[in-house]
Amino acid sequence: MGSDAFEIAINLVKMIVIFLLMVQLVPLLVWIERRGSAFIQNRFGPNRVGPLGLTQLLADAVKFIFKEEFIPSRSRKFLFYAAPVMSLIPGALAFGSIPLSLPINVEAFEMFGQTWGPYRFAFQSFEIGVGIVFVLGISSLGAYGMLTAGWASVNKYSIFGALRASAQMISYELALGLSLVGIILIYGTFDFSVMISEQTGPLSFMWFGSEVVIPFLPNWGIFYQPLGALLLFITMFAETNRAPFDLPEAEAELVAGYHTEYGGLKMNMFYIGEYGHMMVASALMTTFYFGGYHLPFVDPDTVNTALMYNGYSATMASVLTALTFHLVFFAKLFLFLWIFIWVRWTLPRFRYDQLMDLGWKKLLPWALANTMVTAVVVFLMRSWS
Amino acid sequence: MLNSFGHVSLEHYLVLSAILFTIGMLGVLLRKNVLVMLMGIELMLNAVNLSFVAFSHFTGNINGQIMVFFVMTVAAAEAGVGLALAVTIFKKFKEVNIKFFENLKG
Amino acid sequence: MLTSGLLFYILAAAIVLFAIAVVMSSNPIYSALYLALTMVTLAFMFFMLNAPFIAGVQLIVYAGAVVVLFTMVMMLFDLKKEQEAFARGKFTGFIKIASAGWLCGLIAGAVYMSSEMIVSGSKAVSENTATTKNLAIELFTNYILAFEALGILLLLIAVGAVSISRIKGGTHA
Repeated sequence: MGSDAFEIAINLVKMIVIFLLMVQLVPLLVWIERRGSAFIQNRFGPNRVGPLGLTQLLADAVKFIFKEEFIPSRSRKFLFYAAPVMSLIPGALAFGSIPLSLPINVEAFEMFGQTWGPYRFAFQSFEIGVGIVFVLGISSLGAYGMLTAGWASVNKYSIFGALRASAQMISYELALGLSLVGIILIYGTFDFSVMISEQTGPLSFMWFGSEVVIPFLPNWGIFYQPLGALLLFITMFAETNRAPFDLPEAEAELVAGYHTEYGGLKMNMFYIGEYGHMMVASALMTTFYFGGYHLPFVDPDTVNTALMYNGYSATMASVLTALTFHLVFFAKLFLFLWIFIWVRWTLPRFRYDQLMDLGWKKLLPWALANTMVTAVVVFLMRSWS
Repeated sequence: MLNSFGHVSLEHYLVLSAILFTIGMLGVLLRKNVLVMLMGIELMLNAVNLSFVAFSHFTGNINGQIMVFFVMTVAAAEAGVGLALAVTIFKKFKEVNIKFFENLKG
Repeated sequence: MLTSGLLFYILAAAIVLFAIAVVMSSNPIYSALYLALTMVTLAFMFFMLNAPFIAGVQLIVYAGAVVVLFTMVMMLFDLKKEQEAFARGKFTGFIKIASAGWLCGLIAGAVYMSSEMIVSGSKAVSENTATTKNLAIELFTNYILAFEALGILLLLIAVGAVSISRIKGGTHA
């Protein structure tokens, strides 16, 4: 946190704004999902309320708020209330630690008869040095929300859904963590910002002591770690409990899974948790393998100087640059979120033994092999020069 | 010294670690449920981890943090075997009381 | 300085309260959930102690895997409220509590008496020695044998756990 009042205030506002940003994206995603699924299935989808059905979101929110609050009489009350919050918090915390754009540099200025020194605000809720480990740790806490929801509502379908969900999360966490080891080995850092700044410029790497530059490709992680990217992409679906891995909510077998007994706003919080996890997963994918907030072949310094040349002050230019690259990040984020939705409405669900076999017998060995090969190649290339 | 409020020294962390260890030990001694006893053991191991990290921080020596890795690995392994034993007990007696452990043979 | 002291006392109080709740809850599922809270709070404390990587691993290994396994197994059992949660015998119980308290006092007393001898405060780990890189270098050079021994231990544990919980005659329970 900051050292003086201005910095602390800005940091607090930043935290709240980024949390609200995440929460406010959820209705939009719900709309995209409903329209998108309708498009895929050759239907209309919500198109009556407002232009393109956009105010349907508002109507949905009102409906969620005014639903009867129903609590099963034999449920464990406290945990029943706590579970939706527990499933919402990990996603929000993880999303807060991912850099969404370039840091903003604020020049020294005069206010209240006092000079407020130059500041540097990172475009994320909080900066954390070991970002990747933190995100993995925090998102593994998401299992508690489902487990407590299933157990607290004293319903056999709920508890089956909860057990399935947590078994699935634990199994796929291994493959998820291992698929990231390769990219960590290549960039040699746990810090998101460092990792993103490594991915600028054209594709260039050391090959047996000589530098190879491929000018028409951006320097993105996916070109170094195609297998790692694929493995992360698959495990992401399982971690977020989305189709084709949505066995915890398989409606034909389990009514609705761990949130069978929930309704109204509590149900809505589970939704926000699920979409929050999707956003974290897409942001991770963008950050690790698709250059984060960088636009290929565009140097942020060039944008900054161009803005300053056009008469903006240094602070204003920094803010505008950050916002521009924030939009780039969100374009990439929405691409992956759309892929989530696209896959959900295209692929059928796995059977549970198929899911476990895929996790333990396919993804885990491939991730291990990827780690081994990457380690050997990185070692060879570094010791060559 | 334990007198100044604002200043947190190594002793504070060591005393906290001792208290945590004692609570874990009481869990093992007093409870009859195998799973809760395992949780007590986890608490004791965490107390040891805390003292390792505190020593590492206050003496500027990184070896303490390495030890935490080893303790964590052993704790995870211990939890795995303990849970497997508890599942076996439960399948046979429909309860996970420590007194049934004497019936486990071959 | 005052804020860090305050933070320490808040976290310490939370850790002790959650740990007591682990031992005292008669329902083992509540014990497991309190254990998860203890682990998360401890992770924060590790973070305060300039060990962010350890804090992250604490979250992944303990809070994210071990305690989730505990909770899952207990939900699978679906234990009713325990008939006898605590060991019987008032006298032995008293002796147990007394001896545990005695041990705690002994350690605390030893820490207090030897506080002159403990190197304290002066040489806090600076930012650049406590990096994950140094941790890795130390782990893979000086402690490589112990590291490999741990690998073998984990393999043995995996085989042992499978062979204990295996059901004869079938592959699925």
